[in-house]
Amino acid sequence: MDLKWLIRSQSIMTLAAGMIYPYYLLFLKNLGNSYSKYGLAFAVFTISSAAVSQWLGPLLDRHGLRMMFWSALGMMAAMLAFPWTASYAMVLGLQLVMGVCNAMQRMSERLLLAEYTVPDERGRPLGNYHFWTSAASGFAVLLGGYLIDWLTINILFYISAVLYAVSAWVLWKRSRNVRNSSKVSSVSRGTML
Amino acid sequence: MKKAIVLLLLAAMAVFQYVRTSPAEQDPFLITDYSRLRPVKVERVVEGKAEEQLVELVRRAKAEGKTLSIAGQRHSQGGHTYYEDGIVIDMTGYNKVLSLDAEAKRITVQSGATWEDVQKSVNPHGLSIKTMQSQNTFTIGGSISINAHGRDIRNGSLIESVESFRLLDADGDIINVSRTENPELFPLALGGYGLFGIILDVTLLLTDDEVYRESTVLLELEDYPDYFKNTVLPDDDIKLHIARISVAPGEGYFTELLAKSYRVDNELALADYSRLENNDKWVAPGKLLFNLNRMNDWGKNLMWDLQTKAFVEQTDNIVSRNNAMRAAWMFMEHSEPGSNDLLQEYFVPIDELYPFAQKLGAIVEEEELNLLNITVRYVNKDEEAVLSYAKEDMLALVCLFHTPLSKEAQSKLQHGVQRIIDEALLAGGSYYLPYASFATQEQFEAAYPRQSYFWQKKRQYDPEELFVNYFYEDYKS
Repeated sequence: MDLKWLIRSQSIMTLAAGMIYPYYLLFLKNLGNSYSKYGLAFAVFTISSAAVSQWLGPLLDRHGLRMMFWSALGMMAAMLAFPWTASYAMVLGLQLVMGVCNAMQRMSERLLLAEYTVPDERGRPLGNYHFWTSAASGFAVLLGGYLIDWLTINILFYISAVLYAVSAWVLWKRSRNVRNSSKVSSVSRGTML
Repeated sequence: MKKAIVLLLLAAMAVFQYVRTSPAEQDPFLITDYSRLRPVKVERVVEGKAEEQLVELVRRAKAEGKTLSIAGQRHSQGGHTYYEDGIVIDMTGYNKVLSLDAEAKRITVQSGATWEDVQKSVNPHGLSIKTMQSQNTFTIGGSISINAHGRDIRNGSLIESVESFRLLDADGDIINVSRTENPELFPLALGGYGLFGIILDVTLLLTDDEVYRESTVLLELEDYPDYFKNTVLPDDDIKLHIARISVAPGEGYFTELLAKSYRVDNELALADYSRLENNDKWVAPGKLLFNLNRMNDWGKNLMWDLQTKAFVEQTDNIVSRNNAMRAAWMFMEHSEPGSNDLLQEYFVPIDELYPFAQKLGAIVEEEELNLLNITVRYVNKDEEAVLSYAKEDMLALVCLFHTPLSKEAQSKLQHGVQRIIDEALLAGGSYYLPYASFATQEQFEAAYPRQSYFWQKKRQYDPEELFVNYFYEDYKS
């Protein structure tokens, strides 16, 4: 079993996230005059992530790949919505949504990493996985900064949305391949939608 | 092996970014202004929060022999808002609206408030600002310290709409200044570039909000002065007016001009148009276009062609006065390291516009300056401020130059600007002071004949040089 497809889709996802993450923090910071308000936006993200994890846990074994796919689509929607935020309440709403997507993505990532590696031989594939996803993040951040200088942060949100869509597509293709192949793995039961 | 290449590539990109952002103008630990021209270390930046705090600050700084510089949004470009090893007072948090008398059309605001804050406050009462810049992002204190002007052609200079203000002077005393109380200080601190003390709050006179219909015409630059004098000025219904000269190389270069008038339309109900709009929509395409404008001739031509089409199409656009006075600016933002857009402004008598513009166009070409835009605005004669620029009714040409921030490029730009200022002076005109200090001392003295009185009073009111900035250092005598 190899992780190539997972590395590919997750690298695209970290590319999407890296393109926007450090800069959207500045975007958020301009929304309020107090640090507490700024911090609250992040708290909402983590709290929603923690809360939803309990509901997602039982679903994970059968629907891991599906969960990852939906987290990508969810993030895409959030990226498209961010430039249109008109109130702090809306920002908190989006943070909540992103917290849910974050839980879905992190949990399914761990499940798939476990599923697609072999006991006692997990180290190297995990190292590979970490390398490519971190490197993707690095490229994204450097490119993102340059792009904001030339265009606007809103464009970055839209590029990020496109990348999330691409990673969702990679995951969807994977689920079809797995379903169509003779190998049946526990993560591919059920359709994507 | 692949991983090694990827790591190397990432490291190379990071090093490239480090080098690219290493010039002093990018250093977050140095202070500079919107021009990014003169980054220096200051002792500290203090946020102005309360009157007692500011009084204490002034007294202590004086006792300790420190210098104070007053900063609003820091959009001036000649180091007007800071000084090396001194204390910078950031007044942007000192921004409350203190009182609004809608009946008397009078508002009192703290000096760190912006025009946006004032507009938000007065708009619901059907009131508007008399005179201000095109954009609404500047502080009131800053705007009156440079004696700003804008698209309004009926209300005169900004100083005319100031009724009074309270000044915290170099002795740590708060005094009321108006045309009757401490009148000597009135025309000194207004248009005084922060050199006479900290303006705490300002009482401004307002006007009514109204609804305008825009109309834009494309003209020959040669015909503009007559058009303005005979068609625009005599028509009392035209309240705002602005023009733009083509800087696109080719046939239209300094010969074509777009003129936009805002004419009051009393048939339209204010309530339908008074909601304050955000005019910074669709920034990305505008920013991209403006970047092309900076880059090459093709970009400049594209920009002028699109502006012509867009302006002429938008003719008949309906807008409230408050909405006309909050122009878009984000598309012009330039944050790339190593270069910047710098403003210059020249005043010439109306009839001198065409000959001066031709000379300006020639100098820009000869000196290979990258001129992005020229906006033309009318300024009525106003000699109230000591450092006045409108000895008669004049036209102001606001020129935006794109330039690298290197010493060589700055030197080149300075040389070109000095030639332009000479031409403006020859035409009986002047140049504007809130921008980079390219003018020579002689040019400054020629443009502002009352400057010796200004410096004399500065020495009288602030003998220990407490309030200091680079404008003071560059031109004091």
